[in-house]
Amino acid sequence: MSIELTDVNKIYKSGEVEVHALKQASIDIPDKQIVAILGPSGSGKSTLLNVIGGIDRHDSGTIKIDEDMLDNMTDKTLTEYRRHTLGFIFQQYNLIPTLTVQENVEVGRQLSQNPLNMDDILEKVGMLDKKDKFPFQLSGGEQQRVAIARALVKNPRLLLCDEPTGALDEETGKKILSLLKYVNETFDTTVCIITHNNGIGEMAHKVIRMKSGEIIEAYENEAPLDPEKVSWV
Amino acid sequence: MILWKSIIRHMKDKKFQYIGVTLLLVISIMLYVSLSMAISTLDNRNQEFQQTNNQEDFHFIVASSIEDNQLKDWGEQFNLTLEKRFYTDVTYQEDTTLRLFSKSDAVNTPYISEGEMPSDDNEIALSPVFAKAHNISVGDDMNVKGQSITVTGLVYLPDYIYILERESDLINDPESFGIGIGSKRVIESMASKTITQIVGEGGTEESISSLKDAVTSNYSLLKWLNADDNPRIEFVESEIQGARATVTTLPLFILVLSVMMVLMIMKRQIEMQRKEIGTLMALGYRKSELRRHYMLHAGFISLVGSLSGIIIGAALSIPITNLYSEYYNLPRVSYFDWDIRVLLIGFIVPNVILLLMTYLVIRKPLTQSPLTLLSPKDMSTGKKSWLEKIPFLEKGSFMTRFRLRLLIRSKARAFYILLGIMFSTMLLIFGFISYGAMGSLVDTTYKDIYKYDYAVHYNTLQQEEVEEGASPFTAGEINVKEVNGESSKVLDQKATIYGIQPETNQVQLLNDDDKVVNVKTKKGFIISQPLATVLGLNKGDQLTIGNAYNNETITKQVSGISNVYIGHAIFYEKSNVNDFLGYPKKVYTAKWTNEEPDQQESILFMEDKKDMIENFESTSSLMRYSIFGISAFAFFVGVIVLTLITNLIVEENSPSISLFKVMGYTDEEISKLVVNIYTPLVVLAYFLSVPIGVLAIDQMMASLVEQTGFSLPVNLTWPMVGIGFGIIMVTYYVSLFFSRRKVTKVSLQEALKKQQD
Repeated sequence: MSIELTDVNKIYKSGEVEVHALKQASIDIPDKQIVAILGPSGSGKSTLLNVIGGIDRHDSGTIKIDEDMLDNMTDKTLTEYRRHTLGFIFQQYNLIPTLTVQENVEVGRQLSQNPLNMDDILEKVGMLDKKDKFPFQLSGGEQQRVAIARALVKNPRLLLCDEPTGALDEETGKKILSLLKYVNETFDTTVCIITHNNGIGEMAHKVIRMKSGEIIEAYENEAPLDPEKVSWV
Repeated sequence: MILWKSIIRHMKDKKFQYIGVTLLLVISIMLYVSLSMAISTLDNRNQEFQQTNNQEDFHFIVASSIEDNQLKDWGEQFNLTLEKRFYTDVTYQEDTTLRLFSKSDAVNTPYISEGEMPSDDNEIALSPVFAKAHNISVGDDMNVKGQSITVTGLVYLPDYIYILERESDLINDPESFGIGIGSKRVIESMASKTITQIVGEGGTEESISSLKDAVTSNYSLLKWLNADDNPRIEFVESEIQGARATVTTLPLFILVLSVMMVLMIMKRQIEMQRKEIGTLMALGYRKSELRRHYMLHAGFISLVGSLSGIIIGAALSIPITNLYSEYYNLPRVSYFDWDIRVLLIGFIVPNVILLLMTYLVIRKPLTQSPLTLLSPKDMSTGKKSWLEKIPFLEKGSFMTRFRLRLLIRSKARAFYILLGIMFSTMLLIFGFISYGAMGSLVDTTYKDIYKYDYAVHYNTLQQEEVEEGASPFTAGEINVKEVNGESSKVLDQKATIYGIQPETNQVQLLNDDDKVVNVKTKKGFIISQPLATVLGLNKGDQLTIGNAYNNETITKQVSGISNVYIGHAIFYEKSNVNDFLGYPKKVYTAKWTNEEPDQQESILFMEDKKDMIENFESTSSLMRYSIFGISAFAFFVGVIVLTLITNLIVEENSPSISLFKVMGYTDEEISKLVVNIYTPLVVLAYFLSVPIGVLAIDQMMASLVEQTGFSLPVNLTWPMVGIGFGIIMVTYYVSLFFSRRKVTKVSLQEALKKQQD
């Protein structure tokens, strides 16, 4: 799935204060690639992910997903877009506390018209033996693995990851990154990772840097590193 | 949808809240279904008994005997079924009266519910309540007037559904009066005199009226009673009508309370789960799916509550119906009558109301964008509301100001607490007033006003001097024609006019100021409290009444209202009443006396005041027991409502509670800060509810007067107010006890977790 953003702007208003979260952002995310969007806090990377994911609306500019324009989609169409096309991974995992690991993954699976096998996915993320545990019985890394499984089981064409390793230690973080790479290679899923960890850029096919709502740099990585070898900042 | 599993687990986690609201719903529906179905079944039994056993449309008694041929002729002429029936009153076990009827074949045919119809001259059948009250079974022999009589069966009579000895009685008492049937020879063998009544059925109002004219022109008519005016028949019908009108009030109030509780819980839940909702939306869940998910919570409560309520209510309606049927002497022609309408209302109304209201409550939060829901909720502005700016409220310790702010910032909760307390208080007040009212009614009417021991009514006009101390009077049936010159809605209200000697000592008509106003009967009518209430009469109003047996009318001013709480009575000077009824000035039809009269031919019936008091007291003892039930019910509903709300307060404030704990506050101090904040409101709600309750109950009692014929004095004493307050405070503190347990369970990590979120 390819994504094309042209001159996208987003302004947040809080009383009389205006925050220009995205300024004339134009990027191109090629199909079946891993793209890392890097930048410090407040650089606008989360806003960028949110407008691509259709959970927030941009004020101007165009966003093209394959052949579809996101700009004029109604709330209903955006929901269908998220339902059938996207997988979301959050920094705080956002699992449903009253459901077990397997049931949390089931929450994602039943949205898909073409879901993957749940046990296979749980095995891939290393959570099959803990499928009957509740989120509060898991470590942060384990919870993030469940969140990834929940996103993956839908067999999405685009996986949007918001600081997926932000709350994890290096060892666990790298395992999660390996998993994302595996997903990209096995299922041809376009993976879009936003992070303030510059090292993650080393494993991406394309790196986009942001600062104060602007794209300050975008380049292709000719030799993306294995996730285990990236530097951890 | 896999999400349903989270519903079950969430409910398990918050079981007290869900069980509490479901219980409220169950109580509401159970009350509605059980009472409505009981009334329906009772109505069906009454209708069926009336039709199958040819209940009379009227009966009459004349001074002389009517030939059978004459009855046959009248029957043909007016297209009516007429039948002679004999009865006599016999004394059983000293102070009990048993009225034995001859078996009729065409009108008021008996219904044998157990055993068989008596056929021999030493056999009778008894009414089941009388048999039960005197421990008599079918097949037993009983000794009546020295004769051994075998009870062959239990019998119901369609003209004695409410078994009253006299039409003027208000309460039945199977201990002192009962009915039975036997052959004419059995009846004659037991008493020196029998009364013959003609019972009639069929025809039209006109034909019945024509018959009455024919009877009056040929015979001296002693009594004519239409079924509509016969309390033994009519009482059950007005009870059914009255109950139908009031049966929804209490359940509806509890339903409103439970719906509000569910909405409060749902609102809170949506608030707590906003991040989950945002996540699900981001994953691609449609708003309709999420709406359905949250509606399922309410749907589950509603379904469990309504189905349980219907099942328990339907089951409970059986003993209630049987209790009613026994009280009103209706045979159990059907065991249980399904009233589909009641079942449908009991199911559909709460479900629709609850789901609709839940939809309205959850609709708004679900219209927010996933991003808004995923973001932490905006911090409170911290601005003070106008209430907090009231100068004296701004002062005080930190604890006072903190509690006040919490109270003011959850106004909806405060309103629900107010409503819950008011509901419980009203129930208690109702119980207390009922508890005291019957005693007060009996004391004032039968001890302070009616000083006699016996009221002896004759079947002919009397002229002889009465014995010393006795007081002659004339009694007659009247219809109210006009009030202040206008034919009102109460046109044809029946009442009894008493022609009294103003100087009598046997009746001391007391007014509200406790002054005897007998002398005012010379100027106008003194009326009883029930009649004043029914007609809306005040002192000074003009009242026009008509003689029930002819077209004579009389208009007089109401010169006083006496605290006679029983019966629709008008007191007026005897000579004037005699004039109005067409009697000579000096005659009388009855006397009040303190000496028990000998049995005489001329006595139509006799009222024994002791029996009347016993009748009322047996009823009031039931009411006294019911006060415990009402108190328990008020307590139960109050505890549920208060605990639900204080629990939510704890849940909502768990981060603050956790922070307080981290800072070193004790559980006791935290409870004072967060949980006990409603104490002033509870006190205020109680003392507000007391006068409102008294007013509401006064109105309710007034509306019941027409049906019951007695008005209950609505007096609430200070000790009762104190006891009520005690019960409400215990209710409140029990709910606080449950909530304090929740406070101790809030962990120290809660604050930290919330910060991370």
